[in-house]
Amino acid sequence: MKNHQARTIIQKGLLFALILILIMAIGFHEIAAALVSRVFSVDVRRGSLPEVRFMMYFFGLYAFISGWATAGKEGSFSQKLLQGIVASAVAGLIVALFDILLVYLVQNGIDIREYLTAFSTASMSYFLFDRGQAGLLQHLVYFVIFGGLGSLLHVIRDTEAAQNAINKASFFLKSSKEKIDNALPPFVRKYGKYLVLMIVAVAMYILPRLWGSYINFVLGLVGLYVIAGIGLNIIVGLSGQLVLGYAAFFAMGAYSMALLNAPTPHNILLGFWPSLIVAMIMAVLAGLVLGLPLMGLRGDYLAIVTLGFGEIIRILLKSDLLSNLTGGPRGIHDIQGPTLFGRPFFSDINYMYIIFVAVALTIFVYNRLQESRTGRAWLSIKEDAIASQATGVNLKKYKLLALAIGAAFAGLVGGISAARNQFTGPNDHSLLVSMNVLSIVIVGGVNSVPGIILGAFTLKGLPEILREVENYRQLLFGILLIVMMIMRPNGLWPATRPLYEHMDDPESTKKTSGKESNNA
Amino acid sequence: MPDLIIETREVSKIFGGLTAVNQVDLEIPRGSIYAIIGPNGAGKTTLFNCISGFYTPEHGQILFQGNPIQGFTTDFISGQGISRTYQNIRLFANLTAIENIMVGQHTNLVTAWWDAIISSPRYRRENANSRKNALHWLDFVGLNGYGDYLACNLPYGMQRRLELARALASDPTLILLDEPTAGMNPQESEEMMAFIRMIREKLEKSIILIEHDMRVVMGISDRISVLDYGTKIAEGSPKEIQANERVIEAYLGPGGAALAKKYQDRRRNKQNA
Repeated sequence: MKNHQARTIIQKGLLFALILILIMAIGFHEIAAALVSRVFSVDVRRGSLPEVRFMMYFFGLYAFISGWATAGKEGSFSQKLLQGIVASAVAGLIVALFDILLVYLVQNGIDIREYLTAFSTASMSYFLFDRGQAGLLQHLVYFVIFGGLGSLLHVIRDTEAAQNAINKASFFLKSSKEKIDNALPPFVRKYGKYLVLMIVAVAMYILPRLWGSYINFVLGLVGLYVIAGIGLNIIVGLSGQLVLGYAAFFAMGAYSMALLNAPTPHNILLGFWPSLIVAMIMAVLAGLVLGLPLMGLRGDYLAIVTLGFGEIIRILLKSDLLSNLTGGPRGIHDIQGPTLFGRPFFSDINYMYIIFVAVALTIFVYNRLQESRTGRAWLSIKEDAIASQATGVNLKKYKLLALAIGAAFAGLVGGISAARNQFTGPNDHSLLVSMNVLSIVIVGGVNSVPGIILGAFTLKGLPEILREVENYRQLLFGILLIVMMIMRPNGLWPATRPLYEHMDDPESTKKTSGKESNNA
Repeated sequence: MPDLIIETREVSKIFGGLTAVNQVDLEIPRGSIYAIIGPNGAGKTTLFNCISGFYTPEHGQILFQGNPIQGFTTDFISGQGISRTYQNIRLFANLTAIENIMVGQHTNLVTAWWDAIISSPRYRRENANSRKNALHWLDFVGLNGYGDYLACNLPYGMQRRLELARALASDPTLILLDEPTAGMNPQESEEMMAFIRMIREKLEKSIILIEHDMRVVMGISDRISVLDYGTKIAEGSPKEIQANERVIEAYLGPGGAALAKKYQDRRRNKQNA
């Protein structure tokens, strides 16, 4: 038993040490320190490392987390604490061994960047807090102190008293929320939803004017991906057809907008709004044209065929064959922006408004659909297509409908983003775009609107804001997906189904209360 | 001519070289409980699948209330008023129990997707009605209070009953039950038998069932057909089937009839003594 425990402690310590060493090996510690400095709102000058103290903060934080994670799960208070401290100490020792190597390399001025790009002298000594051997000792001390602190907090949290306190607090929060709900005047309780919506609408009118064009750009992007995510969710999440060529529908929308509303190559200049409608219609047509031959396919086969469809559209757009028609690989420039009542309406703020309205519309339509007969039919197809058909659902009709509606939203996104960027080209509609949208849906939570919004923020918004992490985006993406699948297999914000049996029925409650008063 | 709900005329279904159903003639009167029995692999479920449209028979005709229905898709046939349950339960696992029943009503609802988006009055009316109906069927099969559970979280017996509720929700004229008491203990099958009788009496539906549990079959069915290797070998009332030598041989093997007779005689002698 003891032997077994010791082995797990050492394994845990080893794991955290290895992760830290890997972080150093890819140079991520610099990025992490830069992120920490962001938190303290200290800007890092381009091409230079953040201040050393931020590296120390990061190291302390890391040690704390490893202590938290390695604290024992069984045994007495002191036993659990001891396990955490020992594991942290093991991690510290291993890191210190690694540090010896670094110190040797730094002191002898050996630069092995040729083989391992992250191991520049500056980067290595930065990892050692710019202190050489003293840094090595500091690492060990940090691991023991902060790791110990982490385990201590974890162990305290696990004690019965703390659990009781947490339960009490959450109960207090819940009950006080109910109290507030009950205390609200009936007018607010009845129309509170609309009140909140109005406040949001006003905020959405004012905020884009305040927070500057950069935030507008990022939030606009997030908004567009929210629409795309919800559109794809109708196809994948509701009707259960795994379509991997979603970007093809964007392309239909974007190119409709571009060809109808740019000076080159055709100079039609139809105007933004009619073009947007054409964009959606073209995307729907593409959805139907793709859908008809696909009706017999399911699962993997459907995924592969739609993936091919996406690539065909992209390569067609890129090819010389259609370059007279679509501008070929150069794409189409100078797409005209929208006008509203004869006035130009294409500043970043205006686009923000357009996107807000489009997102609101999308969420509205999605919510209405998914709670309807149509939505239930889609879900039943996803759950068991054969049983669903035998219950009377016309598979072909409903699958095509899902494809068409999902594609319409993609056309909307394509149209708006083409006009917003004033450019569209074949590479805007690559496979990676389809994959991004799919990841947003899966990471956020299939069939869950708040989940998809959260997913769009996490996967599209954060990387835009955290520019430092740019090079590590794919890495973080992968790690995030793996962690997600383990920790929250149903997404960040999993979907729930409407509860019809115990649904509040205001009329019936009114009636019963009326009866009671009569009897009294 | 008697009022027939289903008539099959020389229906054959062939898989490759195997004739799963071989020229089966059935005449099932309206309002009856009709059982199809037979050893494993006799073609009972294949016959069901032909009636409900999963398979198209290679040969023969299936008439539902006098109209041919072979060759149509399952959703069309379900719309005509035939619904069914499955040998291995096929619920929509991640929908709630009520939603399962609401999907069951699909063929009776008419509103389209744009109705839902603009929330038209007829959509709202229909949705409220559909919920009310679902609650009614939930109550009918005794799943009160379980309506908001996901179907996959219900225990086995309840899933069986929920599947029945889903089949009933479309208000069909004919219900096909594929082994309704499979995996149930004697008491549960007793309840299921009472329930099936109630469906016939109260709702005036016709029922065809496949069943292996002879107590159930002999207890509730008006008439029984026996299939063996895809061919109908006997038809009649439960009494007649029990006495039929070909049926006993199909179940017990050649010489089985004599054996069964011996056991019956011995038991009778014991009882007399």
